Order: sequence, then C-alpha cells, then structure tokens
Amino acid sequence: MYFVGGETVNALSVQHREQGRSQLVKIGLMGLLTVFVSLVALGQGSSSNLDVWTTAKIVLGLEEGTSLQHAIIWELRLPRVLMAIVGGIGLATAGALMQGCLGNPLVSPLTLGVASGAALGAALAIVVGFSITSVGAFAIAGNAFAFSLLVVFIIIQLGRYRSISAESYILVGIAITFIAGAIVSTLQFFATDAQLSQLAHWSFGSLSRPDMTVVYGVGWCVFALLPQAMMWSWDLNALAMGGDDFAISTGVNPVRIRRNILVLSALMTSLIIAFTGMIGFVGLAAPHMSRLIIGNDYRKLLPASAVCGAFLMVFADTVGRTLFAPIVIPVGIMLAVIGGPIFMYLLLQSKGVQR
Amino acid sequence: MSSLLSVKDLSFSWPSRAVLDKLNFSVQSNEVISVLGVNGAGKTTLLKCINRILSPASGSINLLSQNVLGMDIMEVAKHVAYVPQSVGTNFPMNVFDVVLLGRRPHLQWFVGASDRDKVSECLHFLDIDEFAFRRYDQLSGGERQRVVLAKALAQEPRLYLLDEPTSDLDLKHQITTMEKIRSIVSDPTRASSAIVAIHDIDIAAQFSDKIMLLHEGKIRAYGPPKEVLTPELIAEVFGVEAEIQAYSGLLRVVIHGALKNE
Repeated sequence: MYFVGGETVNALSVQHREQGRSQLVKIGLMGLLTVFVSLVALGQGSSSNLDVWTTAKIVLGLEEGTSLQHAIIWELRLPRVLMAIVGGIGLATAGALMQGCLGNPLVSPLTLGVASGAALGAALAIVVGFSITSVGAFAIAGNAFAFSLLVVFIIIQLGRYRSISAESYILVGIAITFIAGAIVSTLQFFATDAQLSQLAHWSFGSLSRPDMTVVYGVGWCVFALLPQAMMWSWDLNALAMGGDDFAISTGVNPVRIRRNILVLSALMTSLIIAFTGMIGFVGLAAPHMSRLIIGNDYRKLLPASAVCGAFLMVFADTVGRTLFAPIVIPVGIMLAVIGGPIFMYLLLQSKGVQR
Repeated sequence: MSSLLSVKDLSFSWPSRAVLDKLNFSVQSNEVISVLGVNGAGKTTLLKCINRILSPASGSINLLSQNVLGMDIMEVAKHVAYVPQSVGTNFPMNVFDVVLLGRRPHLQWFVGASDRDKVSECLHFLDIDEFAFRRYDQLSGGERQRVVLAKALAQEPRLYLLDEPTSDLDLKHQITTMEKIRSIVSDPTRASSAIVAIHDIDIAAQFSDKIMLLHEGKIRAYGPPKEVLTPELIAEVFGVEAEIQAYSGLLRVVIHGALKNE
C-alpha cells in the first residue's frame, strides 16, 4: 500500500463520524423544538377556557377535558397544525431537492411553474366556474391540483430531451409562470368583486381550509414520497457539488436523475399548494437555514430541511393567528414577514460581511 | 497481454465542427500518458468521451475488454475517475464529504468505516488533511484541485482521466502532485493507469511513459517522450521554435520563440 497514515487517518475518520452524530443530534433538537411549538400552537385560539397549559395536559392525556374542549382541539386546531407540519415538510423537502438537482440556490418549489398552474386552475374554478373535479368542496382545490399536474406533465415531456440542462428547466418554468400569470390576470379582469376577493384569498396561502380528511390524504402522500427522496441524497450531493460532468464521473446519470427528482418535487408541491394556496417562502428558506446549521450533505440536509420547514410553518401560522386575534393573518404572508428577516440575518451572519 | 484501454476509430464532432477524427491508441497498465496539444486540439473532448460525458459519433472504447459505450454510468465510475479542470459549486460542502463522493460507486447508501478510512487515507496522501473539515467553496483554486484529485483517488479506479491537474497549483505542488500520481500508477498491486491532459511539456516529459500529440483532431505522434518531443514535431504542432536538451537524465524543452505564420 502506498498510503501511510496511521493515527492521522484514524483521527480524520473519527472526526467525520463524530460530526455526523452531532448533525443527527441537531436534527433531533430541531424536531423537539417543532413538537414544542406545535403543542403551543394547539393551545392558541379564541376559546378562553383552553389555554396552552390546559391544552397540553389534555393532548398528553393528563386531564380529562370537556367534549367541547376535545372538539376544539381535535377538529379545529389539530387539522390546522398538522397541515402546517405536513405542508412545511413537503415544501421544504421539495425546495431542497430542486435546489440540489438544478445546482441553483435561488430555486424554490414555485420556480418550475407548478404553483402558477395551480393558481390558473383555481382562477378558472372561481371565475369561470370550470372545474375538472366539480364536486363542491373540492372544486377549487381539485382544479388547482389538476392544472399543476399539467405542469408536471410538461416537465416529464421536457425530460425526454436528452440534452436538457438545469437552466432550461428553470427558463421553461419562468415561461410557464408568465403564461399562466397572463391568463389569470385576464380572468381577474373579467371577474366580479366577490370572485376577485376569493381569488386573492386563495393566493395568500392559508391553513384554514384543509379539514382532517385532506390532512390525512396529503400527509400520507407526502410521507410516501419522502423515502424515495432520501434515496437520492447521494445523487443530489454529486449534482449540487459539481454539476453534470462531475456527477457522471461519480456514477450519476444527471439527465435521468434530475427529471425524476423534479417530477417528485413538483408532485409534492402540487399536492400541498392545491389545498393551501400559494406558500412559497418556506421552500426557499428552510433548506438554506438547514444548510447553515448542518451543511450540505443531503443525507442530513433533507431531514433537516423537512423539520425546519415544519417548524417555520407552525411558528409563522401561530404568530399569524395570535398577533392580531381574532383576525387571522394568512400563513403565506406571515412566513415572509417573520421568515424573511431571520433568513437575511442568518445569511449575513454566515458570510461575515462586516469589514 | 491485453491492454487496459483500447480506443478504435474514435470520432467526435460538434454540430459545427469535427473535434476528434478516428483516433486509435491503447494504454497498458501502470502507464502515465500525457496528452499534449494546442487549445481546442481535443484533449478535454478525448477524456470526456472515454468517461461517457460526451457520446462519440463513432468508434469503440474498450476498458478491461468491456465496451465502455455499452456500460451503465455507475459501472464506468467504478473503473474510471475523471478530474475536470475545475469544479465550482454554489453550495457549502465540507472537503471530507466531497472526497467521500468518490466512494459513491462502491457503496449503497450507508457509509462504512472502510469508506471513511479510505477517504482519510487519500486526504492524508495528498497532504490536505489539515483542511478536511473546511468548506470546499472557501478554498483556493489550487486547494480545490487537490481535493477533486483526492476524490478520484478515493474512487479506486483502474483508469484516471486528469484534465490539467496542475493548472492551478504552485510550483512545488505541481511537482509533488505529479510525483504522487506517478507513484500510484506505478504501484504494481493496483495495475492502474492515467491519461493526463497537460500544457507543460517539461512536466509531461518528466512524468510520463508516453506522450500523445494531438493535432487538428488526429494523433500526430504517440510514444515515449524522447521519440515524440522533437524540434520538428513541436514546431509543427505548437508553432514554436524549440530545442531539446538532456539534463541529468531529464528532457528539457527550451522554447526560442514563436514561428512566423507562412
């Protein structure tokens, strides 16, 4: 053997293993924090005899609670908090996947135009009354989902071109965003005041719509897709690290993997956005915040982003519900208002910009 | 003995121009091959074709008697490691994890103790263990180059494809890096080889078993440095007036100036 190392070699390996463990501990702590915030969130609301402490005791089974209290917690507050968790996990994971496979830190789940497709579907349902799934409650969400699937289909078709690059995906996504935006604007032009207000409300992104059925449905789908995302973490490391040439020399087929990853993240995004409306920021910020905490190894970054996304969503929604109670500020707005400054602070901190 | 790599009638062209025109050559085990040629001669293209980054228009590439063009990309990566001229990234990744990517073709998902030790050995071997846990994107160009080389070593390939591995290195590291590449390739227990695209003729002469002169998409000459590096061939390929000196066992190419275009 031409390598001589002994103790140094051993020390490096040990340090790497230790680092991996401390990353896992950090993810665990973030998870605990998210659970804590979720418990607090369950205790927030207009009902005066149901504060944080009482709610926590009822949820943990330490106190009986009245049937009214149970109804408020399990039927009103829980779907909202669970949807925040599921949505945060899904959007943050999709964001991390897309940033990695496109090698571009500016990408978010909205970049590919999936959300614009959803907005177009929602606008058609609201203004024209056209819906593929014309079943009452799901008319808007179903149509939004159907139209975002149309965008997923376009992505799959793009993936058939052998030489399609990461940039082409982004540019096509921007084009889709413009086209869908133009149609939505046209619809708005002809819409009544009531329709306009409904459409505006949809686009804010809110967690007040989903009930427990939706939460279960979306939740199972998102959790079914997560293991596949984790399987791709090595390929994502290679793609994020050095682009296509580097990926090939590492044994990764960039064209195929990129298409598969984009289809999965677009699916995950459409599932969530159809029911919550436009929530964009968490998919951009959660992966970056996680990078600042644990680095860019996707085997750790994906779970960390998921947890961070859940935390951000629950936290932002809880603040949005309590700040001007009983007025509820939509989570999409709160995320940008709270998350934006935190995000900027973390970025500037890590860059050490002060001279 | 069959050769490690044998390339037959390899051609590659971009839509607008032909780059490689029917190249034929073979590489034996334990050989360092330097590929010399002017900018645009096709050095990088040749390396990328062997590694399946580019698909040749025609021809065949056989590695260990297997057709590379029919192999799965992961299968190729088990035997061939490619080091590009430079690798940039937008994301914060630590050096150890970058080198660990070299183990990717050999592992499933979990990283074993042997993978970690292999990475540590490679870092130590290239003298970069001091920044094993620094961020790759904050390293200098020369440091990055050595990290990517370490990643290739961790891949334990039979064939190294190195695209100007010394272009960003200082004088001392150019020599030590080439010495290390030489020592790995010369190791009889591994039977590996390296094809190195390079501009520095002196370094090529000093460290290679054979030199390939690429000129206008064709192999102009291929053989031991003494046979290939002649004033006539250098004038023809590079357009400079050169004198070859033997200096304590080494070839030195002294350039007197550029030739005037006729």
